[in-house]
Amino acid sequence: MAVKTTPQDLEQEILDLESRLLHARKRLALASSSPSTSLPLRTDDDDDFGVTLPKETNPTATPSILSSHAFLLLSDSALPLGSFAYSSGLESYLAHNKPLPRTITPVASFHRFLKLSIASMASTSIPYVLAAYRYPEDLETLDNDMDASTPCIVAQRASLAQGRALIGVWERSFRATYASVGTTAAPAAAAAVRAIAEFSDALKSCGDTAEELGPKGHLAPLWGVVCLAMGMDARQTAYVFMLNHAKAVLSAAVRASVMGPYQAQSVLASQRLQDMITERIEREWDTPVEDAGQIVPPLDLWVGRHELLYSRIFNS
Amino acid sequence: MPIKSPFESCIAKPGEGQVVLSLLPPSNPTLTTLTYKYPLKLLTRTPGFVPKSSALTCPSQPVHLYLLTYGGGLLPGDKINVSITLDPRTRMVVTTPQGSTKIFKTEPNASVKGQRGTPKHILSDKSSQTLSVHVGQEAALCYLPDPAVPYKDSRYEQVQTFTVDGPTASKDPRRSSLCILDWVTQGRASRGENWDFHLWRGKNEVWTTDELGKKKLLLRDSLILDRELDQDQLDRNPELLTHTNLIRERTYPHGVVGTLILYGPVFENLANFVMDRFTSLPRIGARNWSSPSTVASGSSAATESPPNFDEQVTFTAARVRAGFVLVKFGAPDFATAKDWLGAILREEGTVYKEFGEEALFCL
Repeated sequence: MAVKTTPQDLEQEILDLESRLLHARKRLALASSSPSTSLPLRTDDDDDFGVTLPKETNPTATPSILSSHAFLLLSDSALPLGSFAYSSGLESYLAHNKPLPRTITPVASFHRFLKLSIASMASTSIPYVLAAYRYPEDLETLDNDMDASTPCIVAQRASLAQGRALIGVWERSFRATYASVGTTAAPAAAAAVRAIAEFSDALKSCGDTAEELGPKGHLAPLWGVVCLAMGMDARQTAYVFMLNHAKAVLSAAVRASVMGPYQAQSVLASQRLQDMITERIEREWDTPVEDAGQIVPPLDLWVGRHELLYSRIFNS
Repeated sequence: MPIKSPFESCIAKPGEGQVVLSLLPPSNPTLTTLTYKYPLKLLTRTPGFVPKSSALTCPSQPVHLYLLTYGGGLLPGDKINVSITLDPRTRMVVTTPQGSTKIFKTEPNASVKGQRGTPKHILSDKSSQTLSVHVGQEAALCYLPDPAVPYKDSRYEQVQTFTVDGPTASKDPRRSSLCILDWVTQGRASRGENWDFHLWRGKNEVWTTDELGKKKLLLRDSLILDRELDQDQLDRNPELLTHTNLIRERTYPHGVVGTLILYGPVFENLANFVMDRFTSLPRIGARNWSSPSTVASGSSAATESPPNFDEQVTFTAARVRAGFVLVKFGAPDFATAKDWLGAILREEGTVYKEFGEEALFCL
């Protein structure tokens, strides 16, 4: 009897978790966009419930709805960046740590990887995401520096493919809506739109030979600029970047048979993951791009040695 | 031309050093500047080795530069700042004859008398080393030092900047050449130290200047090993020191990690050799169909074969942009990494042919 009901129970639980995750994301979108806009309004009443209430009744709430709409678009796993093709070194990590000692379960081993991967992704990429968000006019320099700092071609391939896909999505899908925002209403977004256009032109006019030092199209700086163009705030930009990375790794884990889809969702929804992402972003918040660097040296080795795997299902 | 006495110059600040290597006609390498100040010491020597066969036409004699510090390491607060200029067509070998660069940590406030209630664990001052090398056209730098050994609780930061002159297009024979090794160990393994330091931050950058005089970054290799503990946390909870070790977690299972950067015509053969070595490594997870036992049950077979360094050292090599070859490696201990790297460099022979046996002094 208990065995029969378990799948249904689990399904119910998943639905519940998913709706909670969605709800949490919406709340995050509101919470992280609120300090800049609604803080001055709340100085006279300290009521916590007042956080969302004035926003909904306030006619100036449109930018925040706009930004959470963009937020949902960019955090969608159906965003056609091709992220599903990359495991960020997970596949190679599993192969390098095989067979596992009896005391360590595959899931525990995966959790170690996830932690390392998130820390490393934050220390190498978040400074570039935020720098591009803050100074969109420097996009080409940031792209060059990111390219110079990526130590192996496997990681480079993954970053370039997703970055160029992001430009594609922007140009074919998002630009029509988001580039029309007036320059006076959102000067920062307009600067970002200009920066992407210039970068995209430079990218197209230069041949894509591997040795050339022209623009490349790395994901991290482009992510920052596209998010700026779509009216997201800096926290959201960094958070969605990291969450998308976590989703890609977990999705790879499911396909590499490390865990089932429900377990993957529960990891994704867990407080632990949220805290981990928030903590890493906090740590890299003010890191200048010159000080971005690898904090997990074996990860470079695993990613670089992905090419040595006898059989592989992912591109990285 | 006489070498200027280091004592006549008072320009150098403590820990600062400056070296300029020029080529006087017809092909006579001469140090036109050599200054240094405590705790840094620079010694040079021209061993009289003349490269017989070289990737370049009419190679010049390599000059050796020894980087020395009093006591063979850096104390908290020590700042070393070395600037080297290699004029076109010169060659320099930089080594550390004192062995590994030790990053010391003094006992906190041991000398402060009568002061009670000082916190037991106090983060020591950071020591730092800055090396900036300007490499002219067709000049070559061979920098194969011993690894850094950061002692328990030490904090250290190093920035090594290399600026290459002239063309960067690969295959251009007038490019500068670089061979840079940067490696760090877990500490004094014999005393049980296992990544017990607080901070080690190493950055290697290669820059170029384009026709318009604008600087452009060609390569940046940045490694941050940080326990991520700050003084406040330590004051509140000194137990943290014994409980968590982020660096150990993040470097596991390696006892030494490092990077080798190769660039330019002089090291082209070496770069190709390393790339071949990497791409011809046995596939991971492949079954050895030729032997009767499968790999999974053949762990005993692996121990019978003669020691193969490629099996003990995890490494990756990649030809990244502008013709750079970047090798990253991790090994269980210093000796293994040293043997592996030494074997590769000796087997291939470029360093020996172009700079002489002494360039491999540290390996």
